[in-house]
Amino acid sequence: MARSRTPKEPWPRQRAGLAALLRDHVRILRDTGRFAAERIGTSLLVWLLVGIALALPAGLYLLQVNLTALTADWEGRPGLSVYFELGAPEASVTALAERLRADPAVADVTVISAEQALEEFRGQAELGDALELLDHNPLPASLRAVLKPGADADALDAVAKAAADADAVDEVVVERAWLERVSQVTRVVTRLALMLAVLFGLGAVLITATSVRLAIEARLEEVRVMKLVGASQSQMRRPFLYFGAFYGLGGGLVAAMLISLGLLIIEAPLSELVGSYGREPVLAGFDLGFVGTLFAAALVLGVAGALIAVRQRLASLEIS
Amino acid sequence: MAQVELHQVSRRFDSGQEALKDLTVSFEPGSMTFLTGHSGAGKSTFLRLLLCLDRPTRGSILVNGVNVTRLSPRRLAHYRRHLGVVFQDHHLLPQRSIYDNVALPLRVAGFRERDVARRVRAALSRVGLLEKEALFPRHLSTGEQQRVGIARAVVTRPKILLADEPTGNLDPELSRDIMQLFRQFHQVGTTVIVASHDRDLIESMGMRIIELSEGSLVSDRPGRSDDAAPVPEPAGEVDGAV
Repeated sequence: MARSRTPKEPWPRQRAGLAALLRDHVRILRDTGRFAAERIGTSLLVWLLVGIALALPAGLYLLQVNLTALTADWEGRPGLSVYFELGAPEASVTALAERLRADPAVADVTVISAEQALEEFRGQAELGDALELLDHNPLPASLRAVLKPGADADALDAVAKAAADADAVDEVVVERAWLERVSQVTRVVTRLALMLAVLFGLGAVLITATSVRLAIEARLEEVRVMKLVGASQSQMRRPFLYFGAFYGLGGGLVAAMLISLGLLIIEAPLSELVGSYGREPVLAGFDLGFVGTLFAAALVLGVAGALIAVRQRLASLEIS
Repeated sequence: MAQVELHQVSRRFDSGQEALKDLTVSFEPGSMTFLTGHSGAGKSTFLRLLLCLDRPTRGSILVNGVNVTRLSPRRLAHYRRHLGVVFQDHHLLPQRSIYDNVALPLRVAGFRERDVARRVRAALSRVGLLEKEALFPRHLSTGEQQRVGIARAVVTRPKILLADEPTGNLDPELSRDIMQLFRQFHQVGTTVIVASHDRDLIESMGMRIIELSEGSLVSDRPGRSDDAAPVPEPAGEVDGAV
């Protein structure tokens, strides 16, 4: 015997389809734009707050990227500088240079004679004229040895010891300690950026949540009527999720502008600093990928804030 | 089969007040019924339960044989699209034009804009406000606002039209006009349930009258038999399918 199935709904539902869904999205997008335009002052304020919250960790991230790039070459190729005694014979300098070049751990050796050092000093230092008052060259000859990529600390120590034991050597400066310090600073900046990203990201979520909550309160009657005429939960949520996205993307735009401005301001002194280490003064990291990621993060944080507000407020919505 | 059936429905609030007590009543498709009783009799609670804005403490509410108190949120939304609701205070959106207010249920249901326009103008024409579609609610009188509320309630051609004190703020003449509008919708096959405490007005309509008092059924009086027979309307026009 055939059994009749109990219907699950009082009336058969006709599928509205994708076109109806798209129409709903377009309508809500238009409404959101109009509502935001009517409250342009509030919208700009929220953009600014979210933008500042995003700009700080994003800026620190850029700093970390540039610090890493700055030390990238040196980090894998530690080296040492050897300073000879004043008046050391050229033969001693040449002999040590040859010995180091023959060492399998050494990639390159550059010799700077006392005369070359004096010339460079004259060219760079403002005290160049003062040197004219001296009757002898006060600068020693030196050489710089760069180790091959992947050379370990033991190899560096061995090369340093060999250099220190050589004739007429006054001082050997191993650059590893300085590099380790830069590396430690980079690690601190990385962690700081991560910590700030979490804290300020949370701040951005809370700012958006509060702003969306205010938008919900302003449109509460509309939400009530929508519920009465059969709007689904997602239809009631949708306008406010768009708001979250709008606030987030606006914040992303402000953050990108603030970072650009910051880079413009520090470009000159940073170029000077980087140039003094013989590097190309190019700021790394602020590219299309970075801006895209910034906007994506802003969008996610904005929508997350909106979801929090919507879940809190619409769940407790009563219709009188 | 009855379109709407309430079986031993009770609603007790957290305060202990029992708004409805063991109410059993049914409504045929296309019928028109007045709910009456003093303030606090349970009329509004009755309508809120039918709208599923509230749930009964006990009992079941069947619409076309389906217990609507157990519908999932998604099905509940679709159920409400087949209901038209008119409130005493209209619930019109002040920042939206009359046209947009009436269009809202159609847009929620996913109708195309050209169908929205056709239906909104037909509904406004029916309540005599077509020429005011571009105005805002604040530009209209209370009676006109109520008629906009009715246009919004009927624009989707609902299966059931519910009205909670729709003439509460109107003078007697306007109240009769509004009731005549409800009668017209009933005559084209819509089930109409109107809560009103205006005994003189509802007596003059000659329809079924259910009287409640302190949440209990006091009387259920059938309407006059000379009332025009309802003409069933084609089903399935709510979900943007026109």
